Amino acid sequence: MRRGRLHALTYACLLAVAAGVAVQTGAAASLSVGSQQITPYRSCTITATPSSTTAVIDAGVSQATPTTNAGSSTTNIVSSAATANRRAYVWFDLTQCSPTIPSTATVRLATLRIYASGLPAACRTIDIFRTTATWTESAITWNNQPFGTTLNNPAQSSRTASFNVGTPSGCQNLAAGYVAGATVTSDVAAFVSGTANYGWMLRDDVEASATTRTTTFSAKNLGTLAQAPQLVITYT
Amino acid sequence: MRWLRVVIAAGGVAVVVGASIAFAASLSSSSASIGAGTATTGRCTNTGLTVLQNLSGSSVASVTVGSIPAGCGGATLLVSVTAGATTGSGSASVPSGGGSVTVAISGTPQVTATELTDLVLIGP
Repeated sequence: MRRGRLHALTYACLLAVAAGVAVQTGAAASLSVGSQQITPYRSCTITATPSSTTAVIDAGVSQATPTTNAGSSTTNIVSSAATANRRAYVWFDLTQCSPTIPSTATVRLATLRIYASGLPAACRTIDIFRTTATWTESAITWNNQPFGTTLNNPAQSSRTASFNVGTPSGCQNLAAGYVAGATVTSDVAAFVSGTANYGWMLRDDVEASATTRTTTFSAKNLGTLAQAPQLVITYT
Repeated sequence: MRWLRVVIAAGGVAVVVGASIAFAASLSSSSASIGAGTATTGRCTNTGLTVLQNLSGSSVASVTVGSIPAGCGGATLLVSVTAGATTGSGSASVPSGGGSVTVAISGTPQVTATELTDLVLIGP
């Protein structure tokens, strides 16, 4: 019997130790500290759809028809030519973003997405300039455009961004599609923080080319969602 | 039967000892939030991520998030799209080397003039 009691006592002690170990193990697990990073972003995409939207306006202007408004055209053409240069204007209403982008937000990336449906046979550089005066889709013409009628104005050095387009091998954008390289982060950051937003003007880097070089972009009025102008703003 | 009483008594001690330890442990873990294992250590990146909607007809079928640095590799990317009255969401894992991730979006949010896309990288 004594041996039996001893076994019983030993068993009871093992139970106690096991219980303690179990609890301690549980406690150790619950006390282990994990960590993970949380990285939030918010993005507003403004799309020129439907074609009647006022969130986006765009229009082309043509030196060859200096008093004609082309705000309802289905294409926006940028062209360098001897006497028929063409430029494109586009504007996005940032206040349409919901919720409104806070003025204190940090704009991490803003990308202008425009669809090139027709490319020049030579690789051309298209410059993007921040427009500094108001214009309207239904009234803008070559003669009354914010940057005036002087060719190669404004200077290349004041451009926001540029990209290359053309069919030759090695050109940055050599096939139809949304162009790469139209990054307008600094401009959008300025708009968000209070600078007046008049959109952008696109022109050939060197106007008045002896050989006409034309790039055709799909306009809002084309009404094709897959080619609609877009502005994508990513911020924190 | 006396040995049985000893066993019961020892068992009682074991329970009391165990309970005491358990109480101490529970006090310890509940008194500090670090015990929850959800402490955060900031962001994995501040870089400008690219956000591209992939359409199916007039709805957002997926969202491709690009320019994700390697420092965010292994994170879980949650994406939510709000387009007018319609919403959709999805998630995917970021490759260990970063890069781009395409997240399928449920709910077929319809493209409107503006869409809001919320991204959250959780981890690594």
